[in-house]
Amino acid sequence: MVSPDALLVSAICSGDEQAMEQLYERYSAIVYSVALRILGDTGAAEDILQEVFMQLWRSPDTFDATRGSLPGWLAVITRNRAIDSLRRRRPESDITDVVVSIEPDLVGSTEMIRALEKIRGALGQMPAAQRSALEMAFFEGLTHTEIAEKAGEPLGTIKTRIRAGLLTLRKAFHP
Amino acid sequence: MSVHEQFADDLSLYALGALLGEERLAVVKHLQDCPDCRHELARLQGDLALLALSASGPKPPLRSRERLMAAMAREPRRIPGRFMKRKAWWTAMEWAAAAAAVVMIVLLLHQNTDLQRRVAALDAHSTEQHKQLLEAKDLIATLTSSDAVHFTLVAAKTPPQPQGKAVYLRSTGTLVFLASNMPELPPQKTYELWLIPTSGAPIPAGLFRPDPHGSAALINPPLPTGVEAKTFAITIEPAAGSAAPTSTPIMVGS
Repeated sequence: MVSPDALLVSAICSGDEQAMEQLYERYSAIVYSVALRILGDTGAAEDILQEVFMQLWRSPDTFDATRGSLPGWLAVITRNRAIDSLRRRRPESDITDVVVSIEPDLVGSTEMIRALEKIRGALGQMPAAQRSALEMAFFEGLTHTEIAEKAGEPLGTIKTRIRAGLLTLRKAFHP
Repeated sequence: MSVHEQFADDLSLYALGALLGEERLAVVKHLQDCPDCRHELARLQGDLALLALSASGPKPPLRSRERLMAAMAREPRRIPGRFMKRKAWWTAMEWAAAAAAVVMIVLLLHQNTDLQRRVAALDAHSTEQHKQLLEAKDLIATLTSSDAVHFTLVAAKTPPQPQGKAVYLRSTGTLVFLASNMPELPPQKTYELWLIPTSGAPIPAGLFRPDPHGSAALINPPLPTGVEAKTFAITIEPAAGSAAPTSTPIMVGS
């Protein structure tokens, strides 16, 4: 079955502005929140929001509905763009490479609220050191070497914590 | 699905964009050849998306929407009319594509015929091999079956004597051995055939117990290749066989 997001993206491919507005209504909060959390600055977050949605408007075919979910894809490319901006570097990540396999259905607001509860619950139960390593890597864009130096822990421990943290999030949806 | 354990941690870091230099190159190279790890990478991106969603909260200000709509209005839109202006160009492209398709079809048809010919040849070869295999199986079944009746022809009026015939091919270590008129053995004993090389110790070439008619066969017992045989000999050994003869041979090849 073709997802509602895939239909909207298909309409955007034909230049349908209303489809674009609908997607903006649906997912602008996700994009903005992620950018704001990383950059900590509303102006900079708005710039990333603009950049990500204009990218979708200009090249909607870079999102392939068969290769993942749109909100997941938007969240990941927003994070990557925001980290690039944080580190004041040119965009490095090729968004066509990003394939996001995500389990929860995030199209409806109810599903989104449920998913959020699960995600925050899993993060809340995570050991503090694990959660900290994961968040430093994701929201601060620190490398494992930088995190190891900051935490005074061996490199291997940090690598393992990051992976274990991600798997804990996954397990929240595959108990 | 199995993710290669040596890349498991690095895949997470790669998804985060935190992997640099040679470590990154090693993962990129591995991903090109490993569908399982590509699948795991997509799942890790999904996990990262979940982490990103944990930041969900404030909506963007209204001005962001207006800014986006204004920018979209400034960008050229992909409307069907634009394609009409390019009709001649598209038509030329279509003809070129059609011509390329025709050439490709002809090439594929030619390739198809060639492949069919090869498949037919392989099929015939396979049938012939299958036939030979069935013949070989029949032959072995005849030699080893307990139902097979063995006749040993000797000069008239001569009482039947125990006999063994070994046919040995040194280059492949292949051996066919047939025995007849062998005396019955007590249950705790067995006959053991030995390859007696031109130099060195006898090599075990298989155990056998004759059927009620005194017949037995050994087909291709495990033997080393390339050993030159001076002769073959048979001894009586304990039921489990021996690594070296423990008794005087009762029969020796001439």
